[in-house]
Amino acid sequence: MMGEQFRKVEQYSPKSSPRGARSPVVSRQDSSGTLKTTILLGKNPSIVPSGPFYLLKEPPGESEITGATNLMAYYGLEHSYSKFSGKKLKEQLSSFLPTLPGVIDSPGQSDNSSLRSVIEKPPVGGKDLLPLTSAQLEGFRLHPGPLPEQYRYTNAAPIKKHKNKHKKHKHKEGIPSTETAIADASGDIHEKKHKKQKRHDEDKERKKRKKEKKRKKQKHSPEHSGGLTPSQHSS
Amino acid sequence: MASSLENLEAQLEMFIENVRQIHIIVSDFQPQSQNVLNQKLQTMVHGLQEVDKLKSQVQDVHVPLEVFDYIDQGRNPQLYTKDCIEKALAKNEQVKGKIDAYRKFKSNMLLELSRTFPTELSKYRALRGDE
Repeated sequence: MMGEQFRKVEQYSPKSSPRGARSPVVSRQDSSGTLKTTILLGKNPSIVPSGPFYLLKEPPGESEITGATNLMAYYGLEHSYSKFSGKKLKEQLSSFLPTLPGVIDSPGQSDNSSLRSVIEKPPVGGKDLLPLTSAQLEGFRLHPGPLPEQYRYTNAAPIKKHKNKHKKHKHKEGIPSTETAIADASGDIHEKKHKKQKRHDEDKERKKRKKEKKRKKQKHSPEHSGGLTPSQHSS
Repeated sequence: MASSLENLEAQLEMFIENVRQIHIIVSDFQPQSQNVLNQKLQTMVHGLQEVDKLKSQVQDVHVPLEVFDYIDQGRNPQLYTKDCIEKALAKNEQVKGKIDAYRKFKSNMLLELSRTFPTELSKYRALRGDE
């Protein structure tokens, strides 16, 4: 429809018009209904606009709120804005849910625990949740002993990660932890600590050796052939 | 609304804690722990019942789907809020700029029109009821 209109305009464009630059008489539909004209015929035919011209079309209704107002202030969200814009938020999910046990920072797709999958494939529902009968509980009778390695390491996760961080220094070497993961984590920490201590000791020894070497050198140097230090000279 | 969410949060926290304890029990299972385990399993069912009961209280809570993507990627969902607020602010400023520019344009146009077509504009203004 639009294309047709354009074609029409092109066809009657002043440039191509045989009547020169005179504007052609093209019927234009007034969709707004504001361009009312009265055509007077007779000796002096004329076209008189009888209605308001298009600038007088009703302006859009004034709305109380526009994009010119500070919407953050209007909806009372300034507090939230300052809260989030001021401080640098931590990226990890575990910083938002510090009390949640398990590794929650890894992508959900990797262990099939994504929330998306719950929406896309909703679990079977609509059934009543009933307490387990004694027969059903029989199915949960377990064999004594620890879990096999592969399950222990994949399932065991650092519990209360944040608290662990604070506990780092409280752990004492040689005391095994009840949680495997915690034990792992603390083990790492102790190793690091131990390494640090070792390095520190090594540094100390190296310095000591250097000092001794220097002293020996001074003793054997020609300046000190007499074996007396300047302080000894003065005395 | 806040209290129902708090209830749900507390219920979920209790549920998670129960599951964590089950995990500890089963990771090095002792025969004498069987009764405790059974009890914990029943608590788990009870916990699910409680969460199900709270379902009706949070029906009108709408969560944007994009938040789930953040959580699934192991990212802090508050980052989504932050991004939204920043985007909204930027858009707000942009629109305000446009509106201000149009306002200036209107006043300049009226000024120029009144210089060039003073009578027409006064008629226009009279019709408009601006005067």
